[in-house]
Parts: sequence; C-alpha cells; structure tokens
Amino acid sequence: MKTRALIVDDEELARAVVREHLAAHADIEILGEAANGFEAVKMASELKPDLVLLDVQMPKLDGFEVLALLEGEPAVIFVTAFDQHALRAFDAHAVDYLLKPFSKERFDAALDKARRAAGTKPAADLAPNLQTAAREGKPLDRIVVKDGPKVSIVPLDKLDFVQAQDDYVLLKTEGRELLKQQTLSSLESQLNPDRFIRIHRSYILNLERLVRLEQDSKEHWEAVLRDGARLPVSKTGYQRLKPLWDKA
Amino acid sequence: MNHPVLARRGRLIPYLLLWVLMAGLIAAPTRMQGCTWLESLGLALPMALLGAGIGLMPYYIARFMPAGRTPMARLSTVWCIAAIVDGAFWVAAGSWISARLLSQLPGLSRLPHITAQALPFLWAFGVLLYLACAAFYYLLLAQDQAEEAEQARLRLQMLAQDAELKALRAQLNPHFLFNALNTISALTSVDALRARDMCVKLSDFLRRSLGLGERAAVALSEELELCRGYLAIEQVRFGQRLRLDWQVEPEAERALLPPLLLQPLVENAIKHGISPLPEGGEVRFEAKLDGAWVRILLENPVDSDAPRPQGLGLGLRQVRQRLLGRFGEQAAFEAGIEEGRHAVRLRFPFQTEQP
Repeated sequence: MKTRALIVDDEELARAVVREHLAAHADIEILGEAANGFEAVKMASELKPDLVLLDVQMPKLDGFEVLALLEGEPAVIFVTAFDQHALRAFDAHAVDYLLKPFSKERFDAALDKARRAAGTKPAADLAPNLQTAAREGKPLDRIVVKDGPKVSIVPLDKLDFVQAQDDYVLLKTEGRELLKQQTLSSLESQLNPDRFIRIHRSYILNLERLVRLEQDSKEHWEAVLRDGARLPVSKTGYQRLKPLWDKA
Repeated sequence: MNHPVLARRGRLIPYLLLWVLMAGLIAAPTRMQGCTWLESLGLALPMALLGAGIGLMPYYIARFMPAGRTPMARLSTVWCIAAIVDGAFWVAAGSWISARLLSQLPGLSRLPHITAQALPFLWAFGVLLYLACAAFYYLLLAQDQAEEAEQARLRLQMLAQDAELKALRAQLNPHFLFNALNTISALTSVDALRARDMCVKLSDFLRRSLGLGERAAVALSEELELCRGYLAIEQVRFGQRLRLDWQVEPEAERALLPPLLLQPLVENAIKHGISPLPEGGEVRFEAKLDGAWVRILLENPVDSDAPRPQGLGLGLRQVRQRLLGRFGEQAAFEAGIEEGRHAVRLRFPFQTEQP
C-alpha cells in the first residue's frame, strides 16, 4: 500500500522542492498541497493522509496549530527555515524536521523515519510542547479549536474561563462554548500565569473577567464573573488568585 | 607621570602669567617702602621663578591624597606641614640667591638686607600660595576626571552604536536567508536561470547591507536600493502575494539618513503584512519632500485574526530610537493601524551631502 502524503507550505516554490523530492519515491502518493493552515486542516480531515510535510510559519494557523488539529495519526515531518537553536525541542520529542534548504539525503532519511513511525506516534499530543518550545517560553496569545469542519481561533483576551471535561477542555468565550482536545494542565502551562489562573482543579479563570470573590464556607470561595457566572475557587486556587486580584 | 600644567599649553601659559602677577605682588610693597625698581625686581623675580617651580609640587601630593577619599584630619595635617616646610624652603632658597648671587651685582648690595626684612611676610605669603596651589590642583584633578568620564561615556556610546548596528545586521535574519536559499534550491531544477538570478540578487543584497552598515549616514537612494534588493528576493518567494506600490520623489533621494533605517521597516511589512495573509496584499512605500522635511510612509495590510500589537515592537522601537538619535527633536516617528492597514510615518529634516 502506498503512503499518502500531504504537502503544506505557503510558498509555491517551497512546495515544489518537496514535491520533487517525493517524486523519487514510488511508494509515496501525493494527495494534495495546502497553502495555509486552514486549508491544511480541512484537507487533512477530508483526505486522511498518512504523512504530512508541514511548514511551520504559515498564514492563519502555524504548523504547531495545524499539528494540534490533525485527526488520525499521520506521521509529521516539519519543514522550516527556523534556526537549529529553536529546534532543539524537536529532537527531544523525536519529531523529524527538515531545515530549509535541505539535501536529498536528508530528505530521504526523514522520509524513512516517517515511514517507520507511521501510525504509531500520537503526534497531536506533542503539539503544545513543541509550540511552547518554539515560542521560547513566550506565552500563547490565541487558541485554535476545531469546531466540526471549521477551525475557530480564540484570541486570549476573548477567553472568559476554561473548564476541564475529561480529556477535553471547554473554552467559554463571549457566550460561545468550544471543546478542544487537550488537558487542562497542558493548557495551563501554555498560558500566562498572571492573567490566567488555575482557581480550581477543573477551572482556569481569565483574571480580567473577575468582578468579586465571595466566601462560601471556611475553605471554599466563589468567583463572580462580569457576566454573572459563578465558578468554584479551591483553597490553593484562592491562594493563587488573592495576591493577583489585590494587585489588579 | 604627566603633570597637568606642564602637559598642556592652555594651562602652562596662564600659570606662568599668574606668577608674573605674584612677582608684582612681591615687588609692590618693597617698592613702596622706598626700594629702587631694581631692588624690588631683584627680590621679586627670583622668588617668582622659584615659586613657579615649587608650585608644581603640590600636584603630586594631591594625586596621592584624593580629596574625597582621605580623612580630613590627615589631609589638613599633611597640607599644613607641607606648606610650612615648602614655604620655608622657598624663602631660604630666595635669601641664598639674593645674598650669594645677586648682591654682587651693581645697585643690589642692599638686597640681602631687604630680603631679610621681608622674610616673615614672604614666608606667610609662600604658605598661602602653596595652599592655593593645592586647591588649584584638586580642581584640575576633578576637571580631568570629569573629562575622562565624559570620554568614557562617548566611547561607550560609540560601542553601543556599534553593537546596535551589528545587531541590526544580524537582524537581516537567518530565517530570511534560509528561505531565500530554499527558494534557490527549488528553482535549480525548475528554472536554472532564475536560480542564478536569485543568487545574484541575494549576493547583491548581502554585500550592500554589509557595506551600508559601516557608515554613519547614507543617501536615501542607497537605502532604497537595499530595500528594493530585499523586496526583489521576497518577490520571488511570495510571487503574486506581494504587490508593491512604490512612489519616491527623485529630489528626496538625496536626503541623508542613518543606514539600515528603512530596511527593517520593509522587512516588518513583509513579515506582518504579507506573510500571514494567504492572499498577500499591497505594500505601499512613499518618500517625498515637504519643504525642508523628508516624509516617508510605509503601509501594509494586517491580519485581522492576529492579536493587536501592544505598543511598538523591538524593530520599530529601534528604528524610532535611531531616527531620533540622529535628528533629535526635529524628527517624528509614528506607527499604528490606520483604516485597517498598518502605517509607519517618518519625518526628518532634509540634509544632503555637500557637493
């Protein structure tokens, strides 16, 4: 059976190199090419590729955001003009990557690795880690969510709070609710801890939305939000929240 | 050890003139007490000459006892003793000269007697002069220190400027370079001639950017040449996605500005205005003369999904700093979103190379 590949890059000429290198391999079938992140997610969910060659800097969604939204478990090779330094994290996570420009030998080696790994690597779980590493510790400024066939972008200043639901997080944003496959702790580690506070095992709150804090019982508080919603605050959550709330 | 008075003519001459004045101060009272001109000068000139020599000495003491860092008691003791001893030495040497050398000359036979009479006055005068010299050296030392500090500041500023330029050149960022090389790599098999052309473009751009960075100011035409070189490379990468509206008044091209001031702006316009948009957009560049001013406008589309920037980014801040650093208050820098497009406006005085 042929390995079915999707090429994702916003530059026509960059896609052409990848196409050319792939053409030398008879066992690879090119399913299509996407020129931006939205297209990539859409094509991936329709065509279900086994292999995605993914550019990192792209319009709309970057490579990490696309990776996080990929369904199934395609093998992913990042193709990027990033410098080596930023990519040390990739080594740690055994995701293969190609540095532009790359040689035929290097390309073929990456392809071999991807063939062996196809279907075995839960690539999507790595996305937050890779993204954090590539951003060199800078906190996230938006979250992308796959909402049926559509991709939604949630700018963080529109996010009210996040609620954990098993392996998912429920994002509450200006009256809308979006479900994303990620754990609350993983999301928490990507957010700026001065703006987004883990107030409870199951909740992260956007500090700007907080109107007041009410004490229910000795060790239990409630956060009242701008739109009237009430969220439970645990004891440790209160200890985290109080100093920031007093400062604000 | 360089003596601050001997090392500079600007100080030595006033110093000697002061001693001429001192000679007058010594001569005047004796003259009033009925000495002849010759006798008064016979006393005053050698004393002043000796004084000028001895007056150089306190500098060495001042140097080893910095005023701020020596206890007051020690400072005053040392100076009092030194002043009294050197004053005595001065008077003794003066007396010896007048008695042994000058008294042999015709008309000066009364000189040893006059000197002996003036001795207490001269001694006291010597002590005061000595202390005045000490104060004077402390002033000189402070002045030298201030000058040194100023020079160190200037050196640091130069270094910072250097480092800044290096940083700017480093900002011709690797990402751009690797992408350009990747484009070349892609073209080699599809279109060898275009690949070669791209190599030439890239080399031109690199050479130019290295050359410009060495200079303090460049003509707008040179800076724009660099920007166009940059854009030509990005044009190959982005193809139809990058559209240019380039409007430069030829007269404005002679204007001088710091090197690599506009290139980072153009790079920014591509990075934030073209690269994030699937359809790309139009980058508009305008440079014109407005009376004594040069006005520059750079506009690019923005990605409506991207978070609004908080204040100026590092790149824009650097450009603003360098512009104001060169032209001061006369220059103006504005950046922000206008009608859904990002606009950067520069205004600075029209200065040209002297022909």
